[in-house]
Amino acid sequence: MDLLLQHVINAVSLGGTYALLSLGLAIVFSIIGLINFAHGELMTAAGYTIFFMLAAGVSLPLAIVFAIVAVAILAMGIERVAFRPMRKADMTGLLITSFAMSMILQAFFQNAIGARPRAVAMPEALSGVVNLGSVHLGIIPLMSISITVVALVALNLFLKHTVMGITMRAAAEDIDVVRLLGLKAGRVVATSFAVSGVLAATAAFLWVAQRGSVDPLMGFVPVLKAFVATIVGGLGSLTGAVAGGMLLGIVEVLAQVVLPPSMVEFRDAFVLGFVILLLLVRPQGLLPAPTGRRS
Amino acid sequence: MAEAAPLKGEKPEIGRQAAAGEGLAAPRSLERARTFRDAAALAALVLAGAGLVYFLLPGGPRIATMFLIYLTAVLSLSIYSGNSGITSFGHAAFLGLGAYVSAILTMQPAVQASALPHLPEFLKGWALTYWPALVAVIGAGVVVGLVTGAPLSRLNGGAAAISTLALLIIVHVILVGARDFTRGSQTFYGVPRLTTPVVVAVVAIAAVFVARWFRDSATGVKLRATRDNEVAAEALGIKASRVRYGGWILSVVVGMAAGSLYGHFLGAFSPKDFYFSFTYLLVAMLIVGGFFSVTGAVVGTALIFAVVQILRQAEGQSSFLGLFPLPPLFGLTEVGLGLALMLTIWRRPLGLAGLSELSLPWGASRLAPARTRSVAPAAAPGTAGDRLEISGLSCRFGGLKAVDDVSFSVRPGEILGLIGPNGAGKTTLVNLICGQIAGQAGAVVLNGKTVSGLHPAARADAGLARTFQNIRLFERMTVLENITAAALLRTGSLGAAREKAIALASEFNLLDIADRIAGTLPYGSRRRLEIARALATEPKYLLLDEPAAGMNPAETEALTEEIKAIRDRYGLGLIVIEHDIPLIMRVSDRIVVINRGAKIAEGDPATVRNDPAVIEAYIGSRNSH
Repeated sequence: MDLLLQHVINAVSLGGTYALLSLGLAIVFSIIGLINFAHGELMTAAGYTIFFMLAAGVSLPLAIVFAIVAVAILAMGIERVAFRPMRKADMTGLLITSFAMSMILQAFFQNAIGARPRAVAMPEALSGVVNLGSVHLGIIPLMSISITVVALVALNLFLKHTVMGITMRAAAEDIDVVRLLGLKAGRVVATSFAVSGVLAATAAFLWVAQRGSVDPLMGFVPVLKAFVATIVGGLGSLTGAVAGGMLLGIVEVLAQVVLPPSMVEFRDAFVLGFVILLLLVRPQGLLPAPTGRRS
Repeated sequence: MAEAAPLKGEKPEIGRQAAAGEGLAAPRSLERARTFRDAAALAALVLAGAGLVYFLLPGGPRIATMFLIYLTAVLSLSIYSGNSGITSFGHAAFLGLGAYVSAILTMQPAVQASALPHLPEFLKGWALTYWPALVAVIGAGVVVGLVTGAPLSRLNGGAAAISTLALLIIVHVILVGARDFTRGSQTFYGVPRLTTPVVVAVVAIAAVFVARWFRDSATGVKLRATRDNEVAAEALGIKASRVRYGGWILSVVVGMAAGSLYGHFLGAFSPKDFYFSFTYLLVAMLIVGGFFSVTGAVVGTALIFAVVQILRQAEGQSSFLGLFPLPPLFGLTEVGLGLALMLTIWRRPLGLAGLSELSLPWGASRLAPARTRSVAPAAAPGTAGDRLEISGLSCRFGGLKAVDDVSFSVRPGEILGLIGPNGAGKTTLVNLICGQIAGQAGAVVLNGKTVSGLHPAARADAGLARTFQNIRLFERMTVLENITAAALLRTGSLGAAREKAIALASEFNLLDIADRIAGTLPYGSRRRLEIARALATEPKYLLLDEPAAGMNPAETEALTEEIKAIRDRYGLGLIVIEHDIPLIMRVSDRIVVINRGAKIAEGDPATVRNDPAVIEAYIGSRNSH
């Protein structure tokens, strides 16, 4: 029983991190049709910011806030430099551009900081365990779930109740109409990158807290997974991204638990095989984004 | 518009074809010979380049060999991605599979026993030479292609690209996990170095020919049609999943052959050699050179390969020209590739080579219509009861009834006008009839055969063709290829399809621009091309969705005559959807009016014009306020 509960907590906590990342991807995609591979490097940048802040003796909450702000600015900078000139490119072109950006940033981290992983000194308190009767629950997974919930609620409030949020939702359906209405499309795009940066930095903190180190390639694998989750949920659909992220987390933990030990190393193959099968049944994903296109 | 005096008219008209047949030629084999000659020219260029490097550069043999291996790999990627438009991130993995299969089959028994002690019996001790091993690799490639392509070919766009990425990871995980066969993530050593200059040259040149041949083959033309516009391709009878499957299998086979070359060149490798950075390199080569042509694949491979060689040198340098020391640099290659990619996408999105293949000058008469015979099916009279019967079609979007229980029918040789105010549901109705969307109720019966419920391609095969309100051409193919892709529905032979396409192009006054890329045509030609293309499928019934949209009065006038001429010449039933009421009144034998999804009137033009319900729908009721 308590084992089951632990698995559930792990699944939700992992799924929550994926959900934050895939939301960041989805929010940018919904507006300019870009699947941003460099999202992983935003995560890495946040990881390094937290590492350096902690090393400089800054308290953890302040380090997180600083990382969030820094990465939001970095995301807007990348948009300005790499993606704004490419507005005319198609979806594949944008995807490849972001792939290139990702490689360039990885090379930058390797040269500027070094290829070796750096251990991040997380406060002692985080490594503890909460005891509820016979059940032992790690603080990190619990914190991870609460932070995910807070981030999702905050994003929801932002999108529903602020002018910029509502404009962004309109832009997701048709950015040209937003332009015609005289709203500043450029600012909408920049904001979407900033929001994706905030989400990436939040996810980076959860990831680093779980693993205790940063390295130049840190963001690559989780964002790859988030990328898969976005597609599973339905490209450009925000609810779909959250659902896809959660589902992927659950399937991964489930595969870990259910597969016989000799097969565990094939886990990712099974998970991705499942994704391909799912796409066969629902090529547009689980909860596709609404579009108003005519034939 | 008498056909007896076809040269008098100044306007483009469709009676011209009879007079345009002075030149013979364009026998079928000529086209194939042309492809072959162009492929040979490209291959000669590749050989010459590699040969120069081989003999002139220090370390030339090694560099030339690597170039040809990369070229084979990029060509395999080009066969699928270039023709289908779906970027594959999975090809590096197939190269890996090819390398491992070939390596296991060619290893010396003693080495094999120490490196792979747990190898299953049936794989032990073959110690083949390269060519027999290549045959086995090709066989394995067919199997891998069949298995992976089965799900993949049914997907398109983003879902397909992500699935290839998933395949890359899946194959990688399997290679790492299958320790008995691959030594897992450890280095796989003792692979005989069988990639001699002759071997690599033969395989690479063969790959150039295969890629070039495939691009201009029947499947290749259809695959490119689905790449440029899948909806239109399916409406013309092309089953997208089938042609994608074919392209994928061939591509995987060539990829695995490239992998076998690479494995025997390296001599020792591990699964990570066939993972993301390799994928990145291959994709960069194809995109920079030009995604859409074999020539582009060659150009891109050569250029990026040269850049990478130079950057790798620089990465190894410990000082700048021996003057001052440099810190060791990581990933200079990746940065260089990244910049090259971004520059390409920014400045030349079609890549350096663009859309066209390297082609040698060729005799001018090749586009003369083969014979003067009409393309029209010899006016097959059909049986008396033939007709396209639409009954009770309904379609709801949420709570909106876009089409509500609409029934009518068309006979061969009849022109039915379908009109209605904006948003009446006309286009939805066409989409329902031709299968682009599925409705909730009703049937479409074509000459006694129920076609509703069938795939759009199957409906085209049954004899339905259509044009689209916002023209859907295969924008990155030539005018002639556009028509040929459609003509392939009725003939398996590419030569016959091209002959028919040439005749149709001539009939629709498109022959002069037959080699132009469709995306560059002016509006009027685009409309004519779309109609010519639809006719190439030899339809029994043709639906024209707003053919006069955006035309001026003179063009509309010409169109009226063209529509009638099509009916007379081909004896088919036409449904014309239009906003232009005068056009509809002049051209139609009968008119169906729909409003808010429902049929409100049907009859000959005069009756419909005076029908109160129709007047109300268009102008509004006098009593309503």
